[in-house]
Amino acid sequence: MEADPGRRVRQPVIDFDHYRQRSLSESDGAWQRVRGQCPVAWTEANGGHWVVAGYQEVALAFKDWETFSSARTNPEFSSLTVGNLRIAPLYPEELDPPEWQPLRRILNELLSPAAVRRLQPRIEHWVTHYIDQVIESGHSEMAADIACPIPAAVALELLGFPQSDWERISNAFHGTASLDRKTPAFAQAVDDLDWVSLRVREELAKRRRAYEDDALSFIASHEVDGQPIAPGDAEALVLLVVGGGVDTTTALASAALVHLSRHPELRAALANEPGILDSGTEEFLRMYPPARTHARTAARDTELGGCLIAKGDRVLLSEVSACHDERAFADADRFIVDRFPNRHAAFGLGIHRCPGSHLARAQFKEIMRQVLRRMPDYVVDVEQIAEYPNWSSIGGWARIPATFTPGSRLL
Amino acid sequence: MSVRIRVDRDLCTGHALCHLHGPDVYILDDLGYNATDQQEMPPDLWEQARKGALACPEGAILVVETGPDEVGSAESSAG
Repeated sequence: MEADPGRRVRQPVIDFDHYRQRSLSESDGAWQRVRGQCPVAWTEANGGHWVVAGYQEVALAFKDWETFSSARTNPEFSSLTVGNLRIAPLYPEELDPPEWQPLRRILNELLSPAAVRRLQPRIEHWVTHYIDQVIESGHSEMAADIACPIPAAVALELLGFPQSDWERISNAFHGTASLDRKTPAFAQAVDDLDWVSLRVREELAKRRRAYEDDALSFIASHEVDGQPIAPGDAEALVLLVVGGGVDTTTALASAALVHLSRHPELRAALANEPGILDSGTEEFLRMYPPARTHARTAARDTELGGCLIAKGDRVLLSEVSACHDERAFADADRFIVDRFPNRHAAFGLGIHRCPGSHLARAQFKEIMRQVLRRMPDYVVDVEQIAEYPNWSSIGGWARIPATFTPGSRLL
Repeated sequence: MSVRIRVDRDLCTGHALCHLHGPDVYILDDLGYNATDQQEMPPDLWEQARKGALACPEGAILVVETGPDEVGSAESSAG
């Protein structure tokens, strides 16, 4: 059945704008209400788009890349979110096959499980280093001291950015996710994203002149279909690694640190039985997916969850709603540390499955292991914690002040 | 009874959760995708085979159980 644009009926219609979700509880509650009404619905918010909230429907759409396109068919259509968003393209996330394939292969080579195992010593080094900076004092703002700098150091060292750039690059991405949009600091972070693009271009140009032993050189010297990779493609790929690498694992770690501060029995279980960290990590991902939504564009007329979606319609896919769907997960609102199976959608599903998922898991687990070992009695000042001001796309905690029994540096 | 696994390579997107739950059954290639050949396996690996298939969020793994005592199959499915 084809949807006739002249007689197009988009229904059911709901009053829903995910940009209104100012806190974790607002966001989780809003998605629960949408799921309770319908797995797929239309909203007039943000220029009008479909909202996909059921696990089954989210999974179908993610897996059907031919119908639900990630490509920037319109320069302002980003797969990061709906609504107009003037940001530089991110490849291969915002490409469909066949263009997607060679660039995805580069990321898979850099971030495969085997590559991440080789990075494990560097992950351990940076976790140790950043905990060393606070361990003797007995207090830490765990978002700024631990959750934020560690993923940035691992990703930016792997790429080969000079250490003097790390903080500003990290703050640009962390700031756009974690700061209030009305503040000058937010405007500064947005401006800094342009500076990050500039630095990416400069460093890639340098690697094209002289190969260095880093991922920037690996990317700059890569061939695509027998030709050197196009500079614009290399830049879009590096921006994806940086943007995907520096604030998503941060958001997950911040959520877990806050969650553990509220659930001492779980903290004790993870400290005493290190074997449950693997399944526990998947459950943290399911409860607190760092990237909560993504967007697609219908490449043809289709049907999803009983709704007729027309070619060109924008579609918001909710990983967080899929992860919390009561029809897919028993006791979906409960944290079950050994939940199995746990086929969550926190890394997305289908061909765009987060290529950094293996690195994210390895870093998250090392942060948890060292925090539980070196600052096992940390107490979070609940009066002073602060969530990200918006939970539409990336959700986490911006400030986590904590105290703990001081310990010794290891490096 | 025998237990075999069938992997749909077109559906595998490299989550590597089969390997996490069945490290002695599921082999990953250099890029992290499931490279397990269809094979019959000894009974002590059946549990790993089943858990790895159940863990797959893409529904890419089929465990086929056949034999005189039991005929059936268990497929990993997403949702």
